Amino acid sequence: MTVTAMLPGGQGGARATLRRNFWRGVGRVLRRKPSRIAGVAIIALFALMAVFGPMLYPAHLPRDDNALYAAPSLAHPFGTDFEGTDVLALVVTGARYVILTGLATAIITVAVGTALGLLAGFHRGRWDTVLMRITDLQLTIPGLPLLLVLSTVWKFEGPLEMGLVLGLLGWGGIARAVRSQTLSLRERGFIEAARGLGLPTRHIIVRELLPGMAPYIAMNMLIAVTGAIYAQVGLFFLGVLPFDSNNWGVMLNLAVFGGGALTSAAALPYLLAPLLAILLLTLGIVLVVDAMDEIFNPRLREE
Amino acid sequence: MKRLTAIAALAVVATATACGTTGNTSSSGAGGIYTTIDGSKQIDASAPINPFNPQGSTFMGYDAMSLGWPKNDLMNPDLFYPGLAGSWSVTPGQGEVVIHLRPQARWSDGKPVTSEDVRTSIGLAYTQGGSAYTVNSGAAGAAADITVVDAKTVKITQGSNRSNAFLRNVLSTVVVPAHVYGSLLPAGFWTTLKTAQGTGPAADKAKAVITGLAQKVIGFSPPADVSAGPFVLERINPGAALLKKNPYFYDAAKIVPDKVKVLNYTGNEQIWNYLVSGKLDNAPFTAVPAAVMARIKATKGNEIRKGYSPVAASLAFNQAHKPYDNVHVRRALAYLIDRGQLTRVASPEAGTPAVTTTGIHASAAKAWLGDGLAKLNPYKVDPAKATKELKAAGMVKRNGLWAMPDGKPWKVRLTVPAEFSDWVAAAKSIASQLNDHGIDATVTTSADYTLYLDELASGKLDIGFWLMALGPSPYNIYQRLYGSANGWSLLAGRLRHSPPGKDGNWMGGPEVVGGVNPGELTNRLNLATPEEQKRIVGTLAGLTNQQLPVIQLYDYVNTQFVNTTRYTGWPPAGSEALRLPAGVWMQLGMIEKK
Repeated sequence: MTVTAMLPGGQGGARATLRRNFWRGVGRVLRRKPSRIAGVAIIALFALMAVFGPMLYPAHLPRDDNALYAAPSLAHPFGTDFEGTDVLALVVTGARYVILTGLATAIITVAVGTALGLLAGFHRGRWDTVLMRITDLQLTIPGLPLLLVLSTVWKFEGPLEMGLVLGLLGWGGIARAVRSQTLSLRERGFIEAARGLGLPTRHIIVRELLPGMAPYIAMNMLIAVTGAIYAQVGLFFLGVLPFDSNNWGVMLNLAVFGGGALTSAAALPYLLAPLLAILLLTLGIVLVVDAMDEIFNPRLREE
Repeated sequence: MKRLTAIAALAVVATATACGTTGNTSSSGAGGIYTTIDGSKQIDASAPINPFNPQGSTFMGYDAMSLGWPKNDLMNPDLFYPGLAGSWSVTPGQGEVVIHLRPQARWSDGKPVTSEDVRTSIGLAYTQGGSAYTVNSGAAGAAADITVVDAKTVKITQGSNRSNAFLRNVLSTVVVPAHVYGSLLPAGFWTTLKTAQGTGPAADKAKAVITGLAQKVIGFSPPADVSAGPFVLERINPGAALLKKNPYFYDAAKIVPDKVKVLNYTGNEQIWNYLVSGKLDNAPFTAVPAAVMARIKATKGNEIRKGYSPVAASLAFNQAHKPYDNVHVRRALAYLIDRGQLTRVASPEAGTPAVTTTGIHASAAKAWLGDGLAKLNPYKVDPAKATKELKAAGMVKRNGLWAMPDGKPWKVRLTVPAEFSDWVAAAKSIASQLNDHGIDATVTTSADYTLYLDELASGKLDIGFWLMALGPSPYNIYQRLYGSANGWSLLAGRLRHSPPGKDGNWMGGPEVVGGVNPGELTNRLNLATPEEQKRIVGTLAGLTNQQLPVIQLYDYVNTQFVNTTRYTGWPPAGSEALRLPAGVWMQLGMIEKK
């Protein structure tokens, strides 16, 4: 931040130059490995599915009463489900719930974890003790059993509710990691200087400490999305969450327990389609995290 | 998910090891080892060898015996195959049942089965409550006195509040050896029981003493199995139970297999895999998807035996919730549901679409109603009639969707327990069909069946799936529709009706419809003669068809699996013995070595 202030020319122009350089750097990093481009493409595809997917199909997906568990064909690339609905349509329209839940979880996980980690690490002392004991307590709560119990009293009607619960159950790890980073950064010279200049704590935390950890937090956020997807799909698969025929977890559940996908091949495409979607989305996230690592870590950019 | 997979894989390895151990170390003679599963429970190797324990390591028909075995008759619930009781007699009105035990019946330790064993078993059954052995004063069909006539004859007398279910409840008594279980009944038990059967503070105290023994009885763990059945438990582990032939069984010559191996399972998928691999000599009813059924049929020796199963699935309404209090709305929904299509989606192998809504399984309905069945409204899919009914109910159509009479949105919420995959599929199929006709319908699930029943009973749900037509007793059939779930309950021998939302009345139907009190009629089925029963069933079927407290969706088919590679002589399709455990088939001399 201090470097920016010392740059010649207007502050806005300098920022624009930095932004241009940053995106050029991003482009270079992505081009270096085609897999990273693929990762971005996959995430873009799922984002498009989440935003526009449900608009591509009627509110109630059409069924073919005479094609229950139909084999893959041009008309139905992943076959049909137990009532003759196109499985691809189910995956596409179901992406919104899964991705929204993933994002909500990630945002809550990162927001709560980062805030508590920064406060605990920067203030140390009693703040640190209290916040870290709360974090320890959160880390000891067994997530899955708690969710199973919660599902008996709470119907989790929407993705945001689901995301809220998963997020509140998942911030402990990030809080601990951010605290460690903060403890290290707060001893650096630029923080000492900021303190010496009498800058307020809020400024130091938000404008000095946080930008240094932003890459780390962003990567954690993406990883939290994958965790949230696994968790919610798992819960739907176990059948403890409300039924929604295009939810990927519900599809897995019905393919295995209703269609016998693990015993006969008829319902296998119905099982594989949501699995493939989860796999692709996770792969996309992993590839983008790989690119982000290089973008934000100058030592990896030396070649 | 990864963790789940790993746990599942470990479980499979553990199961395979466990089963392998059993198989490898077991020696079998010419009769071989008969392999099956217990359809009523999974194996819990740590459970006591005690038939009073719901998880107990005993297996009905093999090492757990009752006085008789019910035949799968369409109309007569009192038809039984002899079990430990070689014969019995009953007075008109079922006031007295006299049981004659088989003279040759002996326990696996060589001691004879006597009347004292039956008396002790009945005493123990009183601690558990229910059916003929309840200490609730005034309960219909409760036994009042048990008299040991001689070593092989017992007389059981019904209390003053009669029920025609008495004989079948007595014959269903599970008999355990008095020399093993007798110590569970404290001295003076029978005097306490007499006191408990009365009224007043002394009776209440005595009742508490009797029911207070329940946990002690359930938890009792005999050191070894003492069986009067054709087999006796040799050993059990988490993967399987192994039973060996009981040389003292009264009809030992009829029993062909030397041993019986009861495999454990954690879900239907495991049973499917057992069947596909041809491992099981027989398996009782298991819900099977069509594609899996095709694979099972393709396995060498596998055959399917289908028979009558007095159970049907229905869509039940909470009539205390609007608009389901209006019969026109219920009829409209009946006209919009294609039962054939939903059966194809939900239960193609183990269900047949309901002919119409009568409250009775179609097979039994033909026997009970005769030509009357054809006169009932079949509720064939007819959107025009549905529209007419909805209009008659005052419902309005807004922007292509049906709405409540005041214009508020009408959201049909169908609730099912998540663990019943056929119900989930059926509910989804119904929701899709209703959506096609402009009704905004969605499916919600409850995490498990117990929670689902709680939610139903608390009146939270608008529409839920409901098991019905639980025959063959006509009282049991209509009790599902006009019993406690709909407000009618028997208290101290008197029938009373609770308002919707009270005492478990979640169906919320009217007490009297067109001058008929269906709960009262249902209760009369308990005492009525066969002729009267037929008349009452006709009335109730007609009323149910008109009023639709439920929409009957599909009738279950008892689909059994047998394998002819190692054994033959299986009961044929439609046999009266088909719903009984294979141990009883052996007792009846059916199973032969190939």
